[in-house]
Amino acid sequence: MQTNLSTKTRNWMAVASIPVMIWTAIPLLWILATSLKGTDALADPTKNSFGNFWPKDPTLENYRVIFTGGASDLFNPALRNSIIVCLVATLISVILAMFCAYAISRLDFPGKKLILTTALAVSFFPVIAMVTPLFNLWRQVGLFDTIPGLIIPYLALTLPLSIWTLSAFFQQIPWEMEQAAQVDGATSWQAFRKVIAPLAAPGVFTTAIIAFFTAWNDFVFSSNLTSSNNSRTVPAALAFFTGASQFTQPTGAIAAAAVIVTIPVVILVLLFQRRIVAGLTSGAVKG
Amino acid sequence: MSTVAARGDSALGRAGAWARRAPLLPALIFMIIVTQLPFLVTLVVSFMNWNAYYPNDRGFAGLDNFQSVLTDVNARKAILVTVLLTVGVVLISLILGLIVALLLDRKFRGRSIARTLMITPFLVVPVAAALLWKHALYNPEYGLLNGLLRGIFGDSAPQKDWITDNPLISIVVALVWQWTPFMMLILLAGLQSRPMDVVEAARIDGASSWQIFRNMTLPHLRPYIELSGLLGAIYVVQNFDAVFTITSGGLGTANLPYFIYQTFYTAHDYGRASAAGVVVVIGTIIIATFALRTVLSLFQEESR
Repeated sequence: MQTNLSTKTRNWMAVASIPVMIWTAIPLLWILATSLKGTDALADPTKNSFGNFWPKDPTLENYRVIFTGGASDLFNPALRNSIIVCLVATLISVILAMFCAYAISRLDFPGKKLILTTALAVSFFPVIAMVTPLFNLWRQVGLFDTIPGLIIPYLALTLPLSIWTLSAFFQQIPWEMEQAAQVDGATSWQAFRKVIAPLAAPGVFTTAIIAFFTAWNDFVFSSNLTSSNNSRTVPAALAFFTGASQFTQPTGAIAAAAVIVTIPVVILVLLFQRRIVAGLTSGAVKG
Repeated sequence: MSTVAARGDSALGRAGAWARRAPLLPALIFMIIVTQLPFLVTLVVSFMNWNAYYPNDRGFAGLDNFQSVLTDVNARKAILVTVLLTVGVVLISLILGLIVALLLDRKFRGRSIARTLMITPFLVVPVAAALLWKHALYNPEYGLLNGLLRGIFGDSAPQKDWITDNPLISIVVALVWQWTPFMMLILLAGLQSRPMDVVEAARIDGASSWQIFRNMTLPHLRPYIELSGLLGAIYVVQNFDAVFTITSGGLGTANLPYFIYQTFYTAHDYGRASAAGVVVVIGTIIIATFALRTVLSLFQEESR
């Protein structure tokens, strides 16, 4: 059916997809355009071209505001915290999940399904119901507004997800190869490290990206369990942005910050797409 | 395949299998402690009279908190808003996602660009997306929507204050923008797993495109539609980011998570906030049970 489409139909389909592209792309382009507008261009439509869309003279003023200017004492520490917290949480959860998923896909033991179901059910657990008891507990044990105090709840988000995704990946690995290695005299650790690990790498990498993405996007934990630059992450800091004075809207700065925090995710996903292809081709080794 | 390997293992010796079961423990124990312990605390507190403003009144309250959550005007409103928000966002983004997925399933010029573009809203950090809609699109002075109206109708164009006029719809539209790609991705995966030879045969037998869609594509997609709808519902039910940033729960848009936040941090009524939390958990468990069943049935189909 796909190949039978005439050129005319195909062109028609391309036209039909234009509204779709507008629906998704215009808000994205608009945020980029807003981040490049100075304070005067935001208020005055005549300083912009294409209606009120693109600034006639784009300026990096907003980026200066968040990196070196008025909002920098809010944004820079938040960016640092975000990177540290999300990287550590991703690393820990992927390592733990790797062992867990390995056991799940390698062994047939009672309760296997129960573990996977628990992992999935836990990842559905509403964060808002977790955050209020944690708030009181964290203040009592001194974890409130600290980096570890965020990493632990972030693990609760990323770990179940990692276990689930990795188990799905590990189930596709040709485990007979491990046994072949063991027959050839390798210990199970050697078999894991030299035979299975290279095959599992793409799946592990993909899982790491999904975990990082989940942690990076979190707002509830970070806005409720932090109170200062000690540990506040970017999504929470964004909500606290204010303009140059109390009465100006921080739109330009928010747009610039939004562009900055979205870029790492987009880069990761571009890598991630290539990794999926790699994951698929590694399956070809099977025969 | 894995069962074959596992059988080989038990031949190698049960001791080895037990040793390799150990790696499960750290992750599992940690997961249960971090996610279930707070819930246990919530559950206990929800049966207690615990308001930080009245420290001496702390004690067992029985079902009072639940009763007040289910009868209180604000709490009832919050439950209604949560249901409206979830149903609205999930239904609209499912329909849009299905249309886009059907479109992207065909080959046409610029398909890969369209697909990449279609995924990006999902990649924008949710808070940033909500702020973007609030400040850059809905803003009455320099927002895109009013700018568009001015551009089309000239200077006398009506200038709406979008959020004040339609607070709930504003949130729904912003969330639909974020969730459509998610629905689209799952549905597209479903479409691409469709056996094309059967469709081809039906076409040769003279079935129209609509008949094929109605009688073959839609039934095949059913589990995928259920799955994406349920997963979407699970996440939208607990949405806090958009409500917090776009309206700060004002103008009658406070959903249950926001109600919990308010009761906890403003009213300092820990007991009532916890009871509302338990209500959210129960709601999620109900949806999740259906979701789990769908996921597991999809898995079984794949392994067959």
